[in-house]
Amino acid sequence: MTLQVTGLSKQINDRQIIQDINFEWAPGEIIGLVGRNGVGKTTLFRTMMNHYIAEAGQVSIDGEAIQQVPQRQQQLFFIDTQYNFLSTYRLWELPRFFGAVYSRFDEQRYTALLQQFKLDANSQYRRLSKGMRALVNLILALTSNATYIILDEPFDGLDVIVRENIATMVIDEVADQQKGFLISSHDLNELDGLSDRVLLLKDSRLAHDYNLEDIRARAKKIQLVLNDKVIPDVIKQQSQLIRVSGRVLVVVISDYTPAVDQKLKALHPVLFEELPLTLEDLFRANLAHDTGYQMIK
Amino acid sequence: MFRQKIDQLMWQRHRRILFAIALLTLLGMLIGSFVALHTVVADHGTHQMVNVGLIKQWRPYNGTYFSAYSMWLLLAAWLSGLVVMHLDLRDHFNQFLFSSGYSRKRIYWSKLKVTWSVLLLLNVVATAVDYLIFWWGTPHGYTWTIAWPGVLTSWLVGAIMSLGLFAITWFASIIVGQSGPLVITVAGFTISLAGFSGIGDTILTRGLFKLTGDQAMWVGLIVWLIAALVLFVWGAALYQHLSLEHNGEYLLFPRLRVPVYIVFVLYMTLIFSWSAVDGVSAIVAFVLSALFGYAWLWRPRLGEQWHQWRERKQG
Repeated sequence: MTLQVTGLSKQINDRQIIQDINFEWAPGEIIGLVGRNGVGKTTLFRTMMNHYIAEAGQVSIDGEAIQQVPQRQQQLFFIDTQYNFLSTYRLWELPRFFGAVYSRFDEQRYTALLQQFKLDANSQYRRLSKGMRALVNLILALTSNATYIILDEPFDGLDVIVRENIATMVIDEVADQQKGFLISSHDLNELDGLSDRVLLLKDSRLAHDYNLEDIRARAKKIQLVLNDKVIPDVIKQQSQLIRVSGRVLVVVISDYTPAVDQKLKALHPVLFEELPLTLEDLFRANLAHDTGYQMIK
Repeated sequence: MFRQKIDQLMWQRHRRILFAIALLTLLGMLIGSFVALHTVVADHGTHQMVNVGLIKQWRPYNGTYFSAYSMWLLLAAWLSGLVVMHLDLRDHFNQFLFSSGYSRKRIYWSKLKVTWSVLLLLNVVATAVDYLIFWWGTPHGYTWTIAWPGVLTSWLVGAIMSLGLFAITWFASIIVGQSGPLVITVAGFTISLAGFSGIGDTILTRGLFKLTGDQAMWVGLIVWLIAALVLFVWGAALYQHLSLEHNGEYLLFPRLRVPVYIVFVLYMTLIFSWSAVDGVSAIVAFVLSALFGYAWLWRPRLGEQWHQWRERKQG
């Protein structure tokens, strides 16, 4: 079972927003979609969901294009956070709509999750806070029981408790390999520890498709304290400096081989400590120069 | 009420607004009927609510005090076409529909089916209520007579007129994306149809064809019906290609801007210069409609230029 995006392109007002987007997505995967503001992340989702008519390309599920077999789209879930119809409805009314579209919509679980998060079913969607709306969106996504779930900036402007709740629910949901998530964010920290893969949009194209496990297996983040203030050549050549504070250096080495290890230890550092490697470190160290990605710190 | 899930979804979505339209229609009819029953008493020239001679003819009946097909039903059809299609766009329900897994073709025809099921039911109920009010409420000493020829013809003609008015607002709501300008556009066009029907009547009765008044009416109705069906099918074809990035713009299909402009200019020139005896009226109508149409259809760009000019002047 896979969802395949093939050659998807969309122009708006004669401007190419996304061009020739290709990727595959399987249940059990959490994919992060990153890119600078306005790069076309939401347009990609809207085009995938048939809100926008694509100039070229298609989305297919298990080999069937959703343009030809629209029923396949019921396996794909997306709530547009900017443009959705939920505003005027009360939370108890929403299952009537989603139940008519998603054949496996679980109304009991929907009600239970509303209670769990202390959301009043009688509240109007538009009266909810931003965080509550994000929770309702996620609850609808999960209870739709769609196989492929798209979340557009699900953590945007939320407090740490709600962010944790959302992240936990997403992780729990993919545990049985029946569902997959595609999560967009312009903040890499959000996707850290959540995504298996990261797609990077740049200049309207999919610039990279990273498997984070592979990258993490090769890379290391090291904190070093050297005897003098001169940065040795081995560090300049083999690593990316993340931070320099006096004689304390924090470096990321994207391809940490035994040879590099030997060279570093040959410097006889006063301190040599491996630090946890974040997604942001990886991008900063390896990819910032060719991604044009704006680091957030 | 509806067996198919897509129809149930449409019903769920639109039942409130359709119910509101039905209520408004019934209320309007009730007030109209009671006012007619009240005013007839003051008219000492007649004791007939209905002209007996006319109601027995195979012609639509629309008398001073009683109309066999209420104008409120025409308004209900006009309003329904406007709101059912436009509200889905304005409230972003189209986003949900387009990702629902139902084909756009099914969505379109289901929306039409649900709306017309309600309108037909409203036609029957409202007409029955109206007739009952007259039957019970006709003052003592007055007569209220109905006959199948007048009733059936009125109902048929009224239903076709409703269908046509519905098709106009329905189609306009597919191509126009702004609420205020949409209402102005369809209201203006609907009003202009009075002038256009006059032109048609002239062509059919005094121009090439020399038809009688009744014949011209039936030919007009058939053309009206065909035009409505064309609008439904054309609307279905356009709906298939509706891309929501133009939500909130005047024209949801930017490629239609030039054709709409040409049709608008020709139509307005024809309406305003048809009965004129000199060519000056045609030229004035053409120039004014060309200028107005350009300003209306290209106004976002003109608005931007105006703001830029003002900022330059202030800066």
